[in-house]
Amino acid sequence: MNPACAHIIDDDEAIRDALQWLFKTRDVACATWPSAEEFLAAVQPDWRGCAVIDIRMAGMSGLECFDALRARSNLLPVVFITGHGDVPMAVAALKKGAFDFIEKPFNDSDLVDVVVRALDADAQRQVAAATRETVEARLALLTAREREVMEQILAGKYNKVIADHLNISMRTVEAHRSKVFDKMAVRSAVELAQLINLVGGR
Amino acid sequence: MSQRPDPAPTPRATVLQPAPRRRAPDAPTPAPAKWLAVLPYLTLPLFLAVIAALVWLTRSADRDEQRMTLINDVLWMEQNLQFQLDRNASLLAQIGPELFAHDTQPASTEAKLRQLLRPESGLVRVIWLDAEGRRKGEMPPMSGSHLIGESVGAVPANSVFRLARAIGRRAYGPAYEVADGSHQFEVHVPIYSEDAFIGAAVGIYSLHELIAGELPWWFSERYRVSVLDADGRQIVAKSKVAPLSGDMKYMIPFDPPGHGLSLHITAYRGETRWVPVLLIASIVLLAGIIVWSVWQLRRQLVRRHSAEQALRRESLFRKAMEDSLLTGLRARDLDGRITYVNPAFCKMVGYSPEELIGRLPPMPYWDPDHLERTQEVHDMILSGAAPPEGVELRLRRKNGERLDALIFEAPLIDAAGCHTGWMGSLLDITEQKRARELGRQQEERLQATSRLVTMGEMASTLAHELNQPLAAIASYNTGCLNRLEQATIDRDELRDIHAKLGRQARRAGEIIRRVHDFVRRAEPKREALDFNTVIREAIGLIEADAHKRRMRIETDLAPRLPDIPADPVMIEQVIVNLVRNGMDAMHDNPPDRRTVRVATREEGGQLVVRVADSGRGIDADTARRLFEPFFTTKPEGMGMGLNICRSIAELHHGRLGFESNPDGGTIFILSFPVELS
Repeated sequence: MNPACAHIIDDDEAIRDALQWLFKTRDVACATWPSAEEFLAAVQPDWRGCAVIDIRMAGMSGLECFDALRARSNLLPVVFITGHGDVPMAVAALKKGAFDFIEKPFNDSDLVDVVVRALDADAQRQVAAATRETVEARLALLTAREREVMEQILAGKYNKVIADHLNISMRTVEAHRSKVFDKMAVRSAVELAQLINLVGGR
Repeated sequence: MSQRPDPAPTPRATVLQPAPRRRAPDAPTPAPAKWLAVLPYLTLPLFLAVIAALVWLTRSADRDEQRMTLINDVLWMEQNLQFQLDRNASLLAQIGPELFAHDTQPASTEAKLRQLLRPESGLVRVIWLDAEGRRKGEMPPMSGSHLIGESVGAVPANSVFRLARAIGRRAYGPAYEVADGSHQFEVHVPIYSEDAFIGAAVGIYSLHELIAGELPWWFSERYRVSVLDADGRQIVAKSKVAPLSGDMKYMIPFDPPGHGLSLHITAYRGETRWVPVLLIASIVLLAGIIVWSVWQLRRQLVRRHSAEQALRRESLFRKAMEDSLLTGLRARDLDGRITYVNPAFCKMVGYSPEELIGRLPPMPYWDPDHLERTQEVHDMILSGAAPPEGVELRLRRKNGERLDALIFEAPLIDAAGCHTGWMGSLLDITEQKRARELGRQQEERLQATSRLVTMGEMASTLAHELNQPLAAIASYNTGCLNRLEQATIDRDELRDIHAKLGRQARRAGEIIRRVHDFVRRAEPKREALDFNTVIREAIGLIEADAHKRRMRIETDLAPRLPDIPADPVMIEQVIVNLVRNGMDAMHDNPPDRRTVRVATREEGGQLVVRVADSGRGIDADTARRLFEPFFTTKPEGMGMGLNICRSIAELHHGRLGFESNPDGGTIFILSFPVELS
């Protein structure tokens, strides 16, 4: 698995070089790509970090590159670098889910700050994704009856009510309940609810 | 006489009839005229009837008169015959006793007898009989066999003799035919001697002789006389020629001798009586002429009526055509006085015909702002020099609206071929002109936009190009600053980065140099330029716009200016720009303060152009920033105009400045050095 880094995609070598130097002085790992095509050819789904893309480039434009990434369900955060005339395009891209845009010529500290935030966001996204995977694996362990009981618990019902509802005895409900907590590795209904919320609720 | 009216009346004919508008064109003919038209047809048959009656009456009176004459003549003849018969009978009675006195007749008696037997007396023979009826003698002697009658011995007839003896008076016997086919009759006259009947003298008449002998020549010339017996057979006729006129005849009984004889008198065709005939003929002839002339008159009337109808139709047609025209028509006489206007013209200028007809120039619809030019055009038309492609003229409606008219003029020629005036047609081209003007503005705007787009494109490219090295420089720079914050500094690293910084700075400079080169390539082309001409052309370009905005442009150009090497298009643009600026500045001025003055002078080795307006003037703050790029006081302004003007002036080694106008407003001053070489 690659370490997280900022992928700078710009057709101007001086810009790439300057940004690389700048990121280095702030201890931000980065990789540079002279064109969108080359980046798209190399990019892997498990890459972490963010992409810094110039909108106006020879060949494929930054926006096309962004669309291509999203078409592959790659959710890497994208920061656009844009000239004066491209601002409306950048805003449109933002609405489609781009992370941010920085207008040229930029205050370079701002750019690095934005990139750092994007890297953090990506890291968080990775954590969330990992958690979701765990939760889903645990959910898969539940039997159909246990799942029913869990839904009633999440709905905030007492054991008695659940027993009436499912036409089973209180003891059976309690047994299922402890099984659910055990399988989902939680100790309370509150923890369970938080866990389920992490994967987007049911 | 039957000349048809001209089916296409000359314009003159139409023009001089403005009256039909007021009179109902198809007014019915008044009643008296109708009467007059019918009268000849009523009187003519009456007249003919009267003439015919007169002729008939005359003829009938004439005939009556003829008939009366005939009857008179017949009566006269009858009387004459009777008279003759009576005289003969008297002579026989006279001579009777002498015949019986002697056996042989003495010479005197014989002479008397011969006298009696004259051919005109009608008697052909005298016989005397004794008291017993026996023949005693005769004169002339009779050859025994030529008598035809009851018998040879029966002449004279005994019955007649006995009748005469019985009544003692003469008696006539019936007519009988004798051997040669002629007819005779006899008269028996009793003779007494001392009251004793001694015998009878018998006279034998030949009917033919009697009729022929007794009638005078004139009578027989006029009439045919014939004797008919009791059975209606004609036994004697005076002439063998048949009478021609059947109705002019008369018959009376022939008595004596009686016995059913009758006299028939028929008039020959009388000699033609020329005077009445001529009279009647002339009357008939004259009546014929009258009838003919009335007929001709009627034909003439009908023709005239149909011609009038055709004329009225034609004139109504023309009027309808004229009224439906969208083209204004106006006729003027040789003095320029309006003689006719059509409804379209009235609608166009907003005046009624009454207000216009008879007017002499200047016309009420002339635009007071263009009086001189209008008068000029008017004079040109009257002098016959109107251009065939028409004249464009600005006019004013009654309500004050302006209209642009295209005028065509044609001479009016009357029926006699004389030139009597001018016919003008006006087309309202206000809308077309406006549309053309709008189109021109649209075009201008489009060009401006496309210029703007090009310029924007260029600016954008330039900005992007410059952004690249600048962004790189900024990034290197920030990186360096970041390093300086940190404890350890790698000098080699920093040197390397600064070398890169320098490269990017040079790159930016290179871009700017390229732009400058590009601008340099667009240097003005220089040619010896007469500024006055350029200024006039520039004003020509902007004049329409000025007119529309109710602005005036006045020029005060120095008579002789040195030519200056310059680009005419650029200088023209500067002038247009400055004049337009001046007009913009006077936007809110009253109409009398809306003049831009352009003056040229040569002053101290400089050619100076002054563009003066009397607008708001320029305040101190504006004055300071006036030539800043993108500074503008106008809502739609770009803020480049004055900047460009100054650039152009400087390209030509000149200057653009301004000062405030002592009369209010601003004077922009362009000055160029006059190169003495």
